[in-house]
Amino acid sequence: MTSEQTERRGVSGIDFAKLRAKLQPEIDRIVAQYPQRRSALLPLVHLFQDHIGYVTREVVHYVADVCGVTEAQCESVISFYTLFYRRPIGKYNLQVCRNLSCMLRGAKEIMERFRERLGIGQLETTDDGLFTYEEVECLGECHRAPCMQVNLRNVYDLTPDRVDEMIAAMRAGTFHVAPLVQTEHPPRQVRGPAWPRAVRKSAGAVGVPQPDNAGGVGDEQGRLAAERLREEGVMAVAAPGRFADAKIVEAMLPATTDGAAGEGRR
Amino acid sequence: MAMYEPVLTKGIGELDLTDIDVYRKQGGYEQLRRAVREMEPDAIVDMVMKSNLRGRGGAGFPTGRKWSFLPKDGRPRYLVCNCDEAEPGTCKDHLLMEKTPHQVIEGIMISAYAVRAAKAFIYIRGEMLEEYEIFCRALEQARNAGFVGEKICGGEWSCDLVVHRGAGAYICGEETGLLNSLEGKRGEPRLKPPFPANAGLYGMPTVVNNVETLAYVIHILARGPEWFASIGPVKSPGPKIVSISGHVRKPGNYEVPLGITIRELIFDVAGGLFDGRTFKAVQPGGGSSACLFEEHLDTPYDFESIAAAGSMLGSGAVVVMDDTTDMLEAAFVLQRFFAHESCGQCTPCREGTHWTEALLERLLEGNGRKIDVDLLATVGDKIAGHSLCALGDASVPFVQSVVKRFPEEFLRGVKGVPDVSLTAAR
Repeated sequence: MTSEQTERRGVSGIDFAKLRAKLQPEIDRIVAQYPQRRSALLPLVHLFQDHIGYVTREVVHYVADVCGVTEAQCESVISFYTLFYRRPIGKYNLQVCRNLSCMLRGAKEIMERFRERLGIGQLETTDDGLFTYEEVECLGECHRAPCMQVNLRNVYDLTPDRVDEMIAAMRAGTFHVAPLVQTEHPPRQVRGPAWPRAVRKSAGAVGVPQPDNAGGVGDEQGRLAAERLREEGVMAVAAPGRFADAKIVEAMLPATTDGAAGEGRR
Repeated sequence: MAMYEPVLTKGIGELDLTDIDVYRKQGGYEQLRRAVREMEPDAIVDMVMKSNLRGRGGAGFPTGRKWSFLPKDGRPRYLVCNCDEAEPGTCKDHLLMEKTPHQVIEGIMISAYAVRAAKAFIYIRGEMLEEYEIFCRALEQARNAGFVGEKICGGEWSCDLVVHRGAGAYICGEETGLLNSLEGKRGEPRLKPPFPANAGLYGMPTVVNNVETLAYVIHILARGPEWFASIGPVKSPGPKIVSISGHVRKPGNYEVPLGITIRELIFDVAGGLFDGRTFKAVQPGGGSSACLFEEHLDTPYDFESIAAAGSMLGSGAVVVMDDTTDMLEAAFVLQRFFAHESCGQCTPCREGTHWTEALLERLLEGNGRKIDVDLLATVGDKIAGHSLCALGDASVPFVQSVVKRFPEEFLRGVKGVPDVSLTAAR
């Protein structure tokens, strides 16, 4: 079966009924610990994803049934969380931190090295189905930055050389983190459709002015930001040395302050 | 100020405190026994109130007062420990969960007894799989030893502790988002009021507290509220675990008395800057806090003083930036984070964080317009205070503080302006 076919059916290669029967004691334990069944939704999805590798439609159907919600509600909840995958992913899920503390310690080089060595980008899987790559937000290991997680196991103090070593070890099957369960060959895209920036930039939202509009968004008193900053002395032209080019700063400031929006812009 | 003896972090690195026997040899679970066998729940609430312990998760709300809001109407109450630590720069709860899980369990159980909870929950961030496993093992030990479950410490009181794993969403650290997630829903924050104290988990009275906050309750019981209140400034007393990261020689988690200065934190505690670098800016309370600069270095590190300086103490994450930091890029990185994590319920936050990110990206590509820098300085005022929770508000302070301080670094992203950035100079 091709991955396209299975994706349409949303059914992995494994026997769901058999798996469910095997997991029944664990499922019962999870459901029993909450005062309301619906609370078991996240833990149950986790449980099945651990065994199947991703969240199939059978899982959605079953979990919705157990939790007493509709399949649509179940889908809605699952789609809210980034750790749930609706398509198969690689055996090694590489999640590199891209937040500030790691960036300050060289995360950019780590990310570039991964992208270069694996030939894939954000939320993509290599053709051999071995690696899925994602740049993620703060993983909370800021004191040992740059850091990442491999299958949710922390790896700290990264260097570009260490990245090479890790990839080699994973390919050779000697890496210390166990590979994920993979019941089906993953497609290239982990999530989708990927929205290109251009589509998201709809016209005119949040009142972004036209290029020939030298104005801005006024504050409560109708002052433009530049004026306010000038009044507060923050962007004081009196200290031009701070700016790349004093003329540019000067040009930012409106010539007069009485021009109301729409007519006085010049 | 002299360094204070460690309280929560005592023994970490020397002893295997994940083992219940080791923990008990250090006096572990003694306070739980004392609380359950010898004390009235209200007496514990009074002690916490007197200690003036303030929440260590970010908002800094007095813990004792939070507990006292619970209505006495006979409905079941719940205690939820918030371990969804995801604030950029914060790694203190990871440390406690990984190294001293029993301390976390004891803190939760004492607090659950104090508020007479019918059940206690801990919500662990989905990414913290290793910590989750360590915690579950510790919980099993504690359950077998009679510290969790039926007839705790041989007394009359019973209370179970349920471990709930999240699945990757920063917003679930917001208390009502967390409660929704715990109920098996999307982690979208709720409209307040009603506050969780009245209608929280399953509509019942609920207290949500941070891991570190609950762990300090043990020590307030052990040494008395006067001891706790005597450390640091009167209005925000006590020790605090501070996560120092970024451009310092020794990044790490350090337990310090509040009231220590930012200069001491950076230059004494964390070993100072790298050779040949100079200090540029510091975020004193994680990704949500405004930057402070050289003139603020001698500000005492406590809730009031940091607020007075124009920022916030937040979760205690100190991110240090030296002169090699590109502020435009830093602003973009943080804004991308908030845009990614906005749950999308409220328009000002959903659109505001996204468009600010797009605008910063445009500047970063060198395709910005002069107006963009203006917009960055003001558009935040249209986001903050206009949505259900504090995520939108949190996206504003960093960008505004650095745009005002380093406008030239943003102006260089304007199309047609020669790039004189630090990046280019390096």
